[in-house]
Amino acid sequence: MAVREVLVYPDERLKQRCHVADPASATTRALVTDLLDTMYAAGHSVGIAAPQIGADLRVAVVDVSHSKLGQKHNHGQLVLINPEILERSGSKTMREGCMSVPDYTGNVERAKEIVVQFLDGEGRDQVIRCKGFEAVAIQHELDHLDGLLFLDRVSNPRTDVFKRK
Amino acid sequence: MTDTTFFAVTIIGRDRPGIVADTARVLYELGCNVADSSSTILGGQFAMILIVSHPQLREREVLLQAFSALEQQGLSVFVRTLRPGGETRPELPGELCMISVYGSDKAGIVYRVAQLLSDLAVNIVDLNTKLVGSAQRPVYVMMCESVLPENLTIETLRERLEPLRRELQVDISVRNITPVEL
Repeated sequence: MAVREVLVYPDERLKQRCHVADPASATTRALVTDLLDTMYAAGHSVGIAAPQIGADLRVAVVDVSHSKLGQKHNHGQLVLINPEILERSGSKTMREGCMSVPDYTGNVERAKEIVVQFLDGEGRDQVIRCKGFEAVAIQHELDHLDGLLFLDRVSNPRTDVFKRK
Repeated sequence: MTDTTFFAVTIIGRDRPGIVADTARVLYELGCNVADSSSTILGGQFAMILIVSHPQLREREVLLQAFSALEQQGLSVFVRTLRPGGETRPELPGELCMISVYGSDKAGIVYRVAQLLSDLAVNIVDLNTKLVGSAQRPVYVMMCESVLPENLTIETLRERLEPLRRELQVDISVRNITPVEL
């Protein structure tokens, strides 16, 4: 149980490609706990990925159920170990903010609906279909596992990146 | 423990190439950091607003003195010392929205809209106004990025703007641009 410090760009650990995690290992279990603690401690956060707290494993957590935008479609608390997006459809643009890029927000176009496969916190294989805000949040967190930030996804830095006031 | 002092520097003058370089050189030679800045052309004037810091410097007169050569080239330079903490970004809870107002030019558009927003405790964080269209048919555009107080919804704001929209005969739209925190 620990709320960890959230790394901020340009920390190099945010740009690394993460390794496949062993769901049964003590390291992965501790990482999941820390990710959940850190996400909920941040209050407004709906997701966090391992690199944001300095770990290089393919693990992320998402929970949009407490957010107004996620009320309609959500799977509650999601622990995503070695997640893969199997299908994407539609498109949706949201102005994204990220705890690891605190000074900027950006308009990012992502799939509106996705099918994602992953191992849950107990190591069980899961396949779920997500849409709306939850789908956007998962895509954002999964990008972190490949060292990608929303800044890598904006189509035009001049018109789509905004400095926070 | 840091004794950094922050200053607000405003520079405005007839636009020409080199204003940014000249300004940046003065600040660099003084040892100032540019913490935050925004600059643009307004009318034919280039306007710069900078929040700069210096680890030792306390006296704004020193900055003004350093800019005196620029003033002789026709730029106006103002310097204000910020009170401690004046450089930090305030926490602004509440929905962020873009309010667009546009219509044929007439007196009072900015005032009336801004006054209504003020009465509703809406905080304007970014404002641009522009006169566009032709000389015969001028169109006024006001783009107003605002933070709503926590008890005000975008729907209510739209309703409150509606009488003003009819009275001024302008178009007003409000859209949510609140970033999602991931």
